[in-house]
Amino acid sequence: MNRIYLLLSRGLFLLFLLLRLASISYASSHREAPLISNDPLADNTDVYAFKSPDDPNMITLIANYIPFELPEGGPNYYSFGPNIRYEIHIKNKTTTTGDDITYRFTFSNTNEDPTTFFNIRLGKQNLKTTYVCEKSTDGGASFTTIVATGVVPPANIGPRSIEDPTLGLKAASYDALAQAAIATATSGEKVFCGPSDDPFFVDLAGAFDVGNFRPEGNVTNAPKDGLARFNVHSIALKIPVNLLQKDGKTVSQAANILDGDFVIGVWASASRRQIKTLDASGTAAFSGNWVQVSRLGMPLTNEAIIPVGMKDKWNATTPNNDLQFASYFSNPELALYMDDSQFGGAVPSMKALRIQKNSLGAFDFRNTQQGLFSLKGSAAVAGSALDEAAFGKVLLPDGKSPRAVDILPIFYTGVPNLIPYQLATGKKGNPLAAGKPFINNFLPTLGDMLRLNMAVPATPRNDPKFSSLGLVGAAVLGLTDPAYNTSTSLQMIPNMDGFPNGRRLEDDVTTIELQAVSGVVLAAIGLFYDDATTVAPVSPKLVNVLSFNAGPTKNDTTFRAGFPYVQIPWRGTNYTKKARF
Amino acid sequence: MNKMKHLLYLMAVVALGCLRPSTTLASSHREAPLISNDPLADNTDVYAFKSPVNSENIVLIANYIPFEHPAGGPNWYTFGDNIRYEIHVDNNTATKGDDIIYRFTFTTTNQDPTTFFNIRLGKQNQKTTYTCERSTNGGGTFTAIISNGVVPANNIGPRSIENKTVGLGAASYDALAQQAITTASTGEKIFCGPSDDPFFVDLGGAFDVGGFRSAATARDGLAKFNCHSIVIEVPVSMLQKGGKTVAQAANILDSDYVIGVWASASRPAITTLSTDGTASMVSGNWIQVSRLGMPLTNEAIIPIGQKDKWNAASPYDDVQFAQYFTNPELALYMDDSQFGGAVPGLSALRIQTKSLGSFDFRNAKSGLFGLKGTPNVAGTALAEAAFGGVLLPDATSPRAVDILPIFYTGVPNLAPYQLATGKNGNPLAVGKPFINNFLPTLGDMLRLNMAVPATPRNDPKFSSLGIVQAAVLGLTDAAYNGSTALQMIPNMDGFPNGRRLEDDVTTIELQAVGGVALAAIGLFYDDYTPGSSPSPVTAKLVSTLTFNGGVTKNDTTFKAGFPYLQSPWRGFNGPGYEGPSVITAVEPTILKTPEAVMVAGPNPFQSSVSLRYKLTIDGNVVIKLVGSNGRQIDLLDQGYQTAGSYTVHWNGSYLAPQLCLASLTVNDKLYTTVKLLKN
Repeated sequence: MNRIYLLLSRGLFLLFLLLRLASISYASSHREAPLISNDPLADNTDVYAFKSPDDPNMITLIANYIPFELPEGGPNYYSFGPNIRYEIHIKNKTTTTGDDITYRFTFSNTNEDPTTFFNIRLGKQNLKTTYVCEKSTDGGASFTTIVATGVVPPANIGPRSIEDPTLGLKAASYDALAQAAIATATSGEKVFCGPSDDPFFVDLAGAFDVGNFRPEGNVTNAPKDGLARFNVHSIALKIPVNLLQKDGKTVSQAANILDGDFVIGVWASASRRQIKTLDASGTAAFSGNWVQVSRLGMPLTNEAIIPVGMKDKWNATTPNNDLQFASYFSNPELALYMDDSQFGGAVPSMKALRIQKNSLGAFDFRNTQQGLFSLKGSAAVAGSALDEAAFGKVLLPDGKSPRAVDILPIFYTGVPNLIPYQLATGKKGNPLAAGKPFINNFLPTLGDMLRLNMAVPATPRNDPKFSSLGLVGAAVLGLTDPAYNTSTSLQMIPNMDGFPNGRRLEDDVTTIELQAVSGVVLAAIGLFYDDATTVAPVSPKLVNVLSFNAGPTKNDTTFRAGFPYVQIPWRGTNYTKKARF
Repeated sequence: MNKMKHLLYLMAVVALGCLRPSTTLASSHREAPLISNDPLADNTDVYAFKSPVNSENIVLIANYIPFEHPAGGPNWYTFGDNIRYEIHVDNNTATKGDDIIYRFTFTTTNQDPTTFFNIRLGKQNQKTTYTCERSTNGGGTFTAIISNGVVPANNIGPRSIENKTVGLGAASYDALAQQAITTASTGEKIFCGPSDDPFFVDLGGAFDVGGFRSAATARDGLAKFNCHSIVIEVPVSMLQKGGKTVAQAANILDSDYVIGVWASASRPAITTLSTDGTASMVSGNWIQVSRLGMPLTNEAIIPIGQKDKWNAASPYDDVQFAQYFTNPELALYMDDSQFGGAVPGLSALRIQTKSLGSFDFRNAKSGLFGLKGTPNVAGTALAEAAFGGVLLPDATSPRAVDILPIFYTGVPNLAPYQLATGKNGNPLAVGKPFINNFLPTLGDMLRLNMAVPATPRNDPKFSSLGIVQAAVLGLTDAAYNGSTALQMIPNMDGFPNGRRLEDDVTTIELQAVGGVALAAIGLFYDDYTPGSSPSPVTAKLVSTLTFNGGVTKNDTTFKAGFPYLQSPWRGFNGPGYEGPSVITAVEPTILKTPEAVMVAGPNPFQSSVSLRYKLTIDGNVVIKLVGSNGRQIDLLDQGYQTAGSYTVHWNGSYLAPQLCLASLTVNDKLYTTVKLLKN
């Protein structure tokens, strides 16, 4: 056993080094479905949920809207739309149906000087946006206003519009203007609504040219961040854990860092009135019920998992009705491109990613194959999450849904701290043995949400072991770093607070998800790749998967150390240029 | 007078020397609040010009969808369903409304709804087709002239477009686009599809309260973005009100050859969203949500409070907006008694406050109103019997004499709208003709006199300053300034007589608001004193003519032939990356025998490893092993070998666990690299 650890340790440690040098990506949900791609104001691009790095008692939730905002996109710069309901939804228990907490934002804009075509002139601002934030803690039955007069900072147009004391707004700096817009809600949350740098990064051109990925560091063709130098509009909330935890508990009351009572599921949405009526004088009227037109929990779901024929439906559906889409997770399209018996040979850029077809000499996880189904109901799975008495029905539904055991739970239920979902560390070659805990964000609502265990501490952003590979990074450390791989005890392994346990701004979710589709999670829990042997589980195929990345592995600018963490928006007049395609 | 002409010429040459760079705003990209949130229906630019390759043809272009990111997948941009895209042509003031309308209706379908990719395995999602209908009776009836038009796919990348297995298998993107060009049943050539956005402007500077910058610091805010274009090449005889050809025109400024062009997008009044993500239901009358004739009108002339109304209004109802032309907001920034001092980016532009010692054209001043009804204007366009009612409406609408007609009526070939050449100092005298695109419908349209020949794009006198440059040549170039005779002066086919793709309309319009058209017809700048100034080409005129907004041309070329626009920017450029495959200890089946191959095993290894290589040529072989730090670990083999199979054994038990690379070089050519993992 020690020998395996040692072997694992050597091989994986090296890989880990490699990973730090290199690191995959898609635009999370920018123009991801046909209908919403033509309604940018309501297009929810990304959702983040993470333990605040500057306060262990606080959770930060961020929902971004409006993709591809050109920093100089005047004269009518982008802003949140009136007549749209922007909402952030939180589940913290499975015993209720619907949201346990809902934050709703409603925006209005006014023209302070309708006689000019400029957005800002002589201290007056047009399309000036303000907001009301309401909160519901009874599943949306009633709402209470918690910010009545919120202000959205203007676009970062340029020095004449922002700082000039005569022509512009006379701000000390754009940052000062943004800071001044941070509000404290009557219920204690810090709230910011405004433009910011789009924190997402992805080689859009590569990803969507039928999977023409260009990894960072490759010598053939450097990747391009398709979102570089674009802004978005962010809704950011910094919330004490006890306001989110189902029983009002603080972090210090958690039983341990994977306490199952501290899991929340987060998703965001935008809704519009059902009926829009244009009139011949250039106005539009809105009436009817509110209809959800965009939603997002886990990144890239509607971008790269849901097929085009279902994308609009996905956006209109709430996560408690997601079972209808389960087939796209239990047999994901992306897996076809990592499988030589399907289209693997036609997508050379993903050659490094090959799904287990003969893991441990027995298990085939390629689409429509059995996966672990042969174990269903057997003594081998008794007492594990795969037990029929536990979650066997969801995880092992039939003989042709191989990824119901990993991809489906990552998106639909979260992953419990139960066998087999523990690291191979300590399992002595048996994936169904108890191993080292590394995740518990289990909240089995059977719907797409970003699930975060709020008890897990933040990894300091300056920790040398901080990795944008999130839980994949934590798994590698838990298997290979002597500080963590000598026992099965629960420890805080760096990056256990990373995606898919919530999502930090830094997390390279594209790479993580592609690695996951190619079976890296299965490997982490001991279902190694086809070429692994008992003496060398760290096989070349695992090396290939872990050293794969999809392109840009980090944002094109820094993040802020404090709330709202996202960087201020690029300035229209002078942002440094960077190729986006 | 000869002396004066000579001076004029010399000074203009000096001015032209500095003219190289040229100004700009985004023509109509996100120009009004409502439409900025409906990109598919957002009409960004309209062009109308004499075809540079066929003197009997006119090219009409309407662009839609601003800021298309070339890599904007997975749902790339395309023309929207449930939108009416129309190009309207007026050729006759005697008829009410449009004389010709081209209407385009698009339909998108998914050939393979099971993938998230736009194109995969030869199938295309959001594949767009169109019907083109034409009306020649003011929209009373429409006839389909194209029923199965195809919009080319977006230029996603080589795998989507050219790849024969995973993509569409096209010879090239250009081939795909060329195939989509259709000839209508009535003879027009038509193209609908993505293209490079031909517009150019320093958006960041312009809209930071007029922070225009020099060429050195200005940035084209539309660079490397695509748009969707509707392009029509149509014989003049099909547009001319009497069905005449160019050859039948009386002269190059024949009034009967003027057309007014504008484009629009309309949506049904009522959109009802479905609750399950299926297509929205639309019903009700069609409501115009976007329109554009002259560039930048709704961007920089109409104030924000009126922009949405402007988009909804028909150009036949534009009189309600006339005040924004007779006293344009931009003029406030070129006037030191207003906000001129606060906008240094426009400091080169200063409107005449006492032209010829008396005429003040600043906002709310009287301009030429003092001449109204006087014998001085008898027989000119300014006479009450002519157009004095429009051009000289009151004492507080100074630009009703120049900016208003440029946008609302076109400019007639009548005094005072002739070049100062030959006027002997009297702007109201007969001068040299340079424009006649007069079609007085009192509404915003792009007006083009189709009788004017095209200036060849390779003519050394071709200029993106359009009519402004034609005026400069007519005043200063010895080839044109010797008489008041009508001549084809280069760039008389340029904006605002129609609009060519190359025309720098932002600079031209800013110069126009700065009073350059007034100066061209003899209403010179303040620093010209009649009787004592040596030349009307004063420092202020030179300053206006040398002003530009920083970005003076498109970020790519145009095509020499139809559709003239450049192909859209490609999302993925350069070679495709191929990922590493796993090296096994089994010699691969060699389909096409390479000159040298190598395999290794076991891999991973702990002590000894064997490398087998096979040569089909003779040569000097070098096999090196390099560590993860990039340094050479060992030289495994070196020497001359004849064709055949060889094996090298190497013991690396001493080696620290790492990933290393073994490379096989034959005759200095690297054939293969094998990744080896030392455990």
